[in-house]
Amino acid sequence: MTELHEKAAPVKCTHCDKTMSTPVVCDYCHTIGPNAAVVDHFTLLGLPRRFDLDTAEIHRKFLALSRHAHPDFHAGDTPEVQQLHLQVSAALNQAYQTLKDPAARAAYLLGLLGGRSSADDKSVPDGFLGTMMMMQEELADAISDGDKAEIARIADVLKTQHDGLIRRIGLLFEQHQEAVSCKAVVDDLLGELRQQLNAVSYAKKLLSQAIDAEDSHE
Amino acid sequence: MSDDLILGIDLGTTNSLAAIMTPGGPEIIRDAEGQSLVPSVIAFSDGKVTVGAEARAHAVENPTATVYSVKRLMGKSVSDLIGRAEDLPYEVVPGNHETVCVNVRGRRMTPQELSAIILRDIKSRAESVCGSGTKISRAVITVPAYFDDSQRQATRDAGRIAGLEVCRIVNEPTAAALAYGLDRAEDACIAVYDLGGGTFDVSILRVSGGVFEVLSTQGDTQLGGDDLDRELINLLTGEIRKEFGEELTFPPSTRQALRTFAEAAKMRLSSEDDATVEVSLGGGRVFRRTITRDEFESLAAGWVDHTIEHCARALRDAGLGPKDIDQVVMVGGSTRVPLVRAKTREFFEREPYTAVNPDEIVALGAAVQAGILAGIKRDTLLLDVTPLSLGIETLGGAVGKLIMRNSTVPCQAAETFSTYVDGQTSVDIHVLQGERELAKDCRSLGKFQLTGIPPMPAGAPRVEVTFLLDANGILDVSARELRSGKAASVQITPAHGLTRDEVDAMVNESYAHAVEDLNAHRLIDLRNESQRILDAIDKAVGAAGGALGDQQRQTLDAAVADLKAKRQGEDCDAIYQAMGAANDAATPLTEAQMDQVLSKTIKGRKMDEV
Repeated sequence: MTELHEKAAPVKCTHCDKTMSTPVVCDYCHTIGPNAAVVDHFTLLGLPRRFDLDTAEIHRKFLALSRHAHPDFHAGDTPEVQQLHLQVSAALNQAYQTLKDPAARAAYLLGLLGGRSSADDKSVPDGFLGTMMMMQEELADAISDGDKAEIARIADVLKTQHDGLIRRIGLLFEQHQEAVSCKAVVDDLLGELRQQLNAVSYAKKLLSQAIDAEDSHE
Repeated sequence: MSDDLILGIDLGTTNSLAAIMTPGGPEIIRDAEGQSLVPSVIAFSDGKVTVGAEARAHAVENPTATVYSVKRLMGKSVSDLIGRAEDLPYEVVPGNHETVCVNVRGRRMTPQELSAIILRDIKSRAESVCGSGTKISRAVITVPAYFDDSQRQATRDAGRIAGLEVCRIVNEPTAAALAYGLDRAEDACIAVYDLGGGTFDVSILRVSGGVFEVLSTQGDTQLGGDDLDRELINLLTGEIRKEFGEELTFPPSTRQALRTFAEAAKMRLSSEDDATVEVSLGGGRVFRRTITRDEFESLAAGWVDHTIEHCARALRDAGLGPKDIDQVVMVGGSTRVPLVRAKTREFFEREPYTAVNPDEIVALGAAVQAGILAGIKRDTLLLDVTPLSLGIETLGGAVGKLIMRNSTVPCQAAETFSTYVDGQTSVDIHVLQGERELAKDCRSLGKFQLTGIPPMPAGAPRVEVTFLLDANGILDVSARELRSGKAASVQITPAHGLTRDEVDAMVNESYAHAVEDLNAHRLIDLRNESQRILDAIDKAVGAAGGALGDQQRQTLDAAVADLKAKRQGEDCDAIYQAMGAANDAATPLTEAQMDQVLSKTIKGRKMDEV
């Protein structure tokens, strides 16, 4: 398995001068590195840069690092140290928020791999838009009829659709890992990933409309 | 020890109290009688300020100068309070830049200053309990989880005015969870249902290995036990008018008496099946009414259902169902209402936890957080969230969200801005909090002006603005022009709060006029008050003077003349006594007026009957 690692020169801990295995936190004295807030989310959480990650593991890493980085444990330190911990803590929260959600994790990873952003490429897979428009109409009808059972059914379908898209994204990232040496294949895969991700955000938006509608009928 | 002592304070709508962290765990500060709760009531009378039970005891006789529920005013504007402040017997007036003030006998005081009076009292109580020479200068203060930035800032400013460095603003339900989970080793999901005097919060937390992680929070900062009181008062005033005449008005003292009854009835109905009210309306008229628990619960039902809807939303935001919750912790005095417990039990499908005193658990949690910040408790960590999304106004009055609600704090987001005109050196940014799509429907936190942008063609400058919500949930904004690398300065005009200069001025003033200024204030207050009494007597003599006997008339005239003379002088006590005498002498006049109203009512009825 190939992982894209940007190998930096080994960093020494500012506190105990031992070599740090990551730029984030010293393995020995748990001092936070001065550049911890500026590394990417995977590096920050000490996770391999790939899509297939265990959510429980992401959570465990997040809590363990928060214990060292949180500003609460440094309330008596200098303003500079406090500021560093505030920044690192904010970065950790953002990293966890992004990586724990499969769609957000995929979008972030796609960005790191050089894929297009949703602003640059708004296309969706063939046929997807038709399906969504049909579901949107069904949902609008169900809402105007106040048909709660129908709204719940549509929400279920959307949820299934969403999960299917996420599985497809997982497969594409696997293929990408095997194809890194061939640029044409990689470009195709990254393009398709963008489309699938656009579809996910579409489905999510509709799903949240359905859930809101379910709620307001209660 | 006294040096790193940080006081944990629960600054409540109805009651406030404090706790400290000791080696044996958090401990509530109690007075010699074992009392921990200090009613959040401030009374201004006789030139002195009293706080707590003593102030509350005088509420009926001194309604316009007794201030309670000031927490409801924190960080609010007059327009926020339409329909919310009418029941308050004291006068709420507009303050500077969309804030509110309380008119305390002619002196305008901000909610921050009033809260500071309570905080200072809590602080000195704690200092005397902790032993001679203890000086407390730092505190952790709790706020409802659903407080927005303005309300949090107002609370922090109140602390500063009281001479306290506020190390942390902690959300009340989170503090409660911290106190609850402190000695429980097992990992669990907890729901905290916090129904206080003026606010409701529900928070869902996951506790694992000493880390308390808030997953979601929902609430309403204008929903609490006070609303139940108001429902009861409305019921009673409606019935009184029905019985004694629609034009009957309720003087502040009667309103206060009704309020006192409503509070007592609510408590009594938590254990008994009925409560009886008796209100004297003057002129020998007495209104008597028995309220049953069923009646009370039907008044409360809609209101409790509303809190349950919030619970459902909080669970959904956390991605959990009622069955995933291992424990439901009840916080706040209003959770003693049996209906509240019943509905919560029904929704979460489990018996709620009520073993810790619901009035004290928040202060205990604040003390735990104080212990963490003081470095004496290192095995526990709190990861809290922001209750509201943060965004900026974009073209067309829409809101561009930068930080989503339920994001773990601290968190930050950056956005790049540019200019529209050649040579433009400043950009205005409007920051908002809330979930709605349009800026006008969200809470305005303030307008920020970025200045010091180097003059360049339109669109060329790239100003990166960083919005940082710190662990208190309070916003900090910084900016930097990317091309020149220059830091742009950010000037904040809070939409509903005090500027830094104003707070500084209040801090200085509160030190300065601790004692000596009070007399000057008292003289002004007394002169104003006595003028009001003279005017009222004058008016009453015109309306009902004929009803007085000769002796009564002579006594009244003498008292009025005496008061007129005394209020020219500077002897506060003499004015105060003369005021009392004039008031007493005018009592027969007031009764005569009441009788006139009553006889009109009777006449009206007779005519109806004919």
